[in-house]
Amino acid sequence: MPLPDTTTDKTSDAAMSRRSFLRGTAAFGGLTALAASLSPLFELKDFTSAEQFMQKYYKEMTPADMAKVIKRIEGDVERQYGLRPHVRDYKPMDGVEFVYCLNLTRCIGCRKCVHACVNENNQSRNPEIQYIRVLKLPHGSLDVEKADQNYAPESVPEPGFFYMPVQCQQCRNPPCVKVCPVHATWQETDGITVIDYDWCIGCRYCEAACPYFARRFNFAKPEIPKERLNPNMSYLGNRPRKQGVMEKCHFCIQRTRAGRYPACLEVCPVGARKFGNILDPESEVSYILREKRVFIQLKEEMGTSPRFYYYFDK
Amino acid sequence: MKRFFRNYSVFLWRCARIAFVGDWRYYAWMGLLTVICLFGLNAYCKQLVQGLIVTGMSDEVSWGVYIANFTFLVGVAAAAVMMVIPVYIYGNEELHDLVIFGELLAVAAIFMCLAFVTVDLGRPDRFWHLIPGLGQLNFPASMLSWDVIVLNGYLLLNVYICGYLLFCRYEKKKPSKWFYVPFVFIAIVWAISIHTVTAFLYVGLGGRPFWNSAIVGPRFLASAFTAGPALIILALQVVRRVTATAPTPGSARVRPRTLGAGLAAPHSATLEDLEVLAHHLPELATVSLEDRKQSLHGATVLDVAAGDVLLRQGATDDGAFFVLSGRVVVTREEGGRSRITRSAGPGEQFGEVSALTATPRVATATAEEHSIILRLPAASLRKLMQSPKMNDLIHSRMSERLMISDRGLLMLRSIVQVSMLINVFLLVNEVFKEFYSGNLHVASAKYLFVGLHGHHALVPWIWTAIAMNLVAMTLLVLPLSRSLKWLNLACVLCIVGIWIEKGMGLVIPGFIPTPLGAIVEYTPSLNETLVCLGIWAFGLLLYTIFLRMSVPILQGRMSKDNEDQPDITGDETVASVAAAD
Repeated sequence: MPLPDTTTDKTSDAAMSRRSFLRGTAAFGGLTALAASLSPLFELKDFTSAEQFMQKYYKEMTPADMAKVIKRIEGDVERQYGLRPHVRDYKPMDGVEFVYCLNLTRCIGCRKCVHACVNENNQSRNPEIQYIRVLKLPHGSLDVEKADQNYAPESVPEPGFFYMPVQCQQCRNPPCVKVCPVHATWQETDGITVIDYDWCIGCRYCEAACPYFARRFNFAKPEIPKERLNPNMSYLGNRPRKQGVMEKCHFCIQRTRAGRYPACLEVCPVGARKFGNILDPESEVSYILREKRVFIQLKEEMGTSPRFYYYFDK
Repeated sequence: MKRFFRNYSVFLWRCARIAFVGDWRYYAWMGLLTVICLFGLNAYCKQLVQGLIVTGMSDEVSWGVYIANFTFLVGVAAAAVMMVIPVYIYGNEELHDLVIFGELLAVAAIFMCLAFVTVDLGRPDRFWHLIPGLGQLNFPASMLSWDVIVLNGYLLLNVYICGYLLFCRYEKKKPSKWFYVPFVFIAIVWAISIHTVTAFLYVGLGGRPFWNSAIVGPRFLASAFTAGPALIILALQVVRRVTATAPTPGSARVRPRTLGAGLAAPHSATLEDLEVLAHHLPELATVSLEDRKQSLHGATVLDVAAGDVLLRQGATDDGAFFVLSGRVVVTREEGGRSRITRSAGPGEQFGEVSALTATPRVATATAEEHSIILRLPAASLRKLMQSPKMNDLIHSRMSERLMISDRGLLMLRSIVQVSMLINVFLLVNEVFKEFYSGNLHVASAKYLFVGLHGHHALVPWIWTAIAMNLVAMTLLVLPLSRSLKWLNLACVLCIVGIWIEKGMGLVIPGFIPTPLGAIVEYTPSLNETLVCLGIWAFGLLLYTIFLRMSVPILQGRMSKDNEDQPDITGDETVASVAAAD
């Protein structure tokens, strides 16, 4: 019996060492392959810092927390663009509810508002993000499927068409707010629906929910030319966004909460855009909504009740 | 308590070990899946760095194949548990073990779902914003928050149920009903809820008329109940193949001998033999001495060597067997292959079902090593079972075997059959409503089925899906699909057809045209496709590991009894795997 025993021992020894060698090779190969597949992460430049990772939700921040965050944002912007911005957390004013009115009779479809908005609100130029879409519609129809969004004639307006700029309608019943799984977007007391860019997880459910195609996602790291950066910034408004978060029109919070008009209104060459406080009966928008016989809330049947009204002169 | 934790950690450790042991085919399969996983991981790392711009998605079509796969897999996860219904509500024994395979599939599918939503997030680093208490979960307003809760809850439920049942089987204990039946019923309701909630994710969006239809929820369930069991039918056949052994196990080592040619001639059993059995089977002590004496009438003790066949499939005789020492494997021939359905050690019985029911043997029992076996006539076994404790024990053990019978598969076929009919019927309803009313909301459906303003990227997809569904439906309705070959074809068609219908046919067209009427088409990018393949490979990897762990436990080849010899269990199961084909 001793003979077969030793033979089995030897073979099993050899088998064991061969097996452990194979195991070692497999483990090494596996780790190398894992490292290789993770290698693109080396290019990750602005890594989320612990401070950013732990940052509190907007509504839970104390003024001191906010001051610290704003300081950090200002530092980040300065490092990236070489320009010290002025970031503020503008709060809604008491007794104010903003409303926008747009005169479809006047709009000529020049898209000046689109570009003024991009400049004012530090939207990414590459990939290009715009908050306002101007629809060119044939006379007599509000069927958006007949609209042309990419019209590019020699000059506007073209006969037989009218133009309807669409941006965030600042709904009273915003579907985007309802669907956000983390409360990263909400309606403020002055009617503006805002986004905490540092809280959004980028699931894009709000984008699917919006009936007005008003929301935009940062599919890549936003690029803004240094010389075009608007240094007057607000936390919930036009501060530069990060990759992977949502953004949208916020009625130029950094202007309107400081008593100025939105950029799109200021630039409009034909005075088609009117903006103001609906709670003030003397305001221009109150006058329009009181006096005009017909005005439109886009897709009224959705029950979203927009604070954005389209009206006609004649 | 300490003992429990010790046993449980040994159980987990052995499960983990066995996942790394297998024959070359196992390594090749796992290696292939790992490579695909790593390609997917690599693609995902690129996406993390460069952003979702590397996908085919845009502001216009803001969800793509990630969410499409997620939606499909939620259905698979939900449907996998629906097999529980025939077992627990109608007491169908044929599907008993299949339930564990179904629930394991559900667990793997949920992991894939979670992976698909994670890769779809723009800021996965902020996942903690979703955790109740820590973050700001918008519950109950956001349907996505419901999904977070129901998916994770469902995962926990299924992990618990599978883990508990497998651990009990490993310990050779009867699972306590109070510990799992309530959870099984919760899981059934929960399964319906996960898919309904996922449907509501779409249905609740007023701005997307294509989704904003009450029929989407029922359609989701119908299609899930088609694709889920279809997937399980295929998976079970793979399990059946892989766990099949050569027709007579151990034939290479020992030439099989027929009963009676043992080491010593069979002799009549005595009370001492019953004492030996009682040592391994304490419940025997509850049988009165009188009954025990009477049961010895006609009982014999067999001394058998490894490879001895104790009973053969198809034969008729009335004996039930108890192992006094040694070990016996029970194999069952199905579709030309035989597979270990269980293994019996000291104190355990085999052959009792056909003895009690006086039906032909459904399996073959072979001694795995030198064993001493007590053979009792059916009348004697009945005598012993007059003790309620013995009766319970024998009955509970009857269900402890790994059966993947053709009848079980055909049972699933009828589920697929009915669901497919309902699914196609609901699709017809949807199509009628969209096209006959002819209002402006038909745009997405038009884009999907016939193309819109010269754009028809999805048209070939949906018609392929419809054709597949119709062929599958026809096959399923015809008696033809009682043969596995045709059933498998029908299942593949169901799965692919429904994957397209729910992905390219439901998620994508909801975005086209945009709410402002623009048409921007969507095609998944290469990077996006690699991520998807990676996640599918990851899911298959998980499911393979789950099966690798659970099959030896269900066969009784890996149990607490043999915990001191873990390698043997591992390797022997491997040997049986290797012997297949």
